Amino acid sequence: MNAPDIPFVAFDPEELAEEQARLSGHTIEDLNDYLDRGRTPSDSSIDDSPACTTALTRLERLRAALRRVDSAAVDRESAGTDGWVATIIDSIRLETRAGRRIPLTSDSPVARLALTEGAVIGVLRTAGDGIDGILISRCRLDGDVTEPGAQITVRLEVSVGADGMNTGESITALTSRLRAAVHAVLVQQTELSIAAVDITVTDLYLTTPPPSSEGEADE
Amino acid sequence: MTTVTRLAVPSALDAASDALLADRAADGDVRAFEVLVRRHGPLMRVHATRILGSNDETDDVVQESFITAWRQLPTLENGAAVKSWLMRICGRKSIDRVRARRDHADITETDAAAPAALTPHHVAETQEQAEALARCLAELPDDQRRCWTLRELGEYSYTDIAEELDLPVSTVRGLLARARKTLLRELEDWR
Repeated sequence: MNAPDIPFVAFDPEELAEEQARLSGHTIEDLNDYLDRGRTPSDSSIDDSPACTTALTRLERLRAALRRVDSAAVDRESAGTDGWVATIIDSIRLETRAGRRIPLTSDSPVARLALTEGAVIGVLRTAGDGIDGILISRCRLDGDVTEPGAQITVRLEVSVGADGMNTGESITALTSRLRAAVHAVLVQQTELSIAAVDITVTDLYLTTPPPSSEGEADE
Repeated sequence: MTTVTRLAVPSALDAASDALLADRAADGDVRAFEVLVRRHGPLMRVHATRILGSNDETDDVVQESFITAWRQLPTLENGAAVKSWLMRICGRKSIDRVRARRDHADITETDAAAPAALTPHHVAETQEQAEALARCLAELPDDQRRCWTLRELGEYSYTDIAEELDLPVSTVRGLLARARKTLLRELEDWR
């Protein structure tokens, strides 16, 4: 609509009185809040004011333009990430999450062997990653793993690929395969006595990438 | 020993949700953490650069943020909120830097640097406009630009900004109002 502009004067940041006079008593901030609220509840003192309508249009245009600015800036930062990503990953690698110490028996009377809980969880994750269509999110070893022979329950939270179903495999089939794989690696690589492997499917995921989580980026 | 390659090998994790990645990273999965770093690091870098006023310290601030995040991830209750949680950490680290700068030398704040990498080629009109706006944003007075960034990129409430910057809410509102009007003016020049 062609508001009979008072061609939109961009307001002097310091002149509040003039701003309110031009905007039927409102301020740019009021109008911006109004946009934030999705123009609800509707306010006729704004909607019926041509000056306000013009200003709202400008504010929306500004938002769109700034979204472009932000996403261009993010795009620039996304190109050539390898250097800084590598630095970050190298420094966090030094801080592993060891967790508890899980003893292993040894033939030697003087050698003491152990695995860290973190290493075992890592091995379980890898076993899970070997199965298409399922991803382990959380993994807990319940029970006193520091005590040889103690009964341990492995608790897994997993996410199942929703479009992995095109393999025709049911969730039950996938989780049984996971249970078997988890059992196998634990038997092979640890001496834990496994009482049970509890699997909870907490999520279904799509293997197509999620909409760019740089979120507010364009449209 | 095999060398650690960092060729971003495509994996199911690339498409995984933030929640899953955060859970795995909390359990110690570096690969999942790396996906989070690649996914959210760029926005954090933009955020840090805007708060700091230049990109001199961006690498440091973002690195520190991710190290803190790695350590504290096991305490994050809702993995799905990892993005805003990371942005908070990054915002706070950036503000700390600004404060430290102020404490060390009472210099007038560093000049706002021109936004990085304004490459001149293939500049369409909207792009030119976007660049002009980017420059305008970068040239806002420091306190305005910081409030603006916390609000727009950090998605802070007015109260949160006030708390973070140690300012009255009314001042924050005033700073944002001024910033908005300056940006509106810049936009008008492009009509």
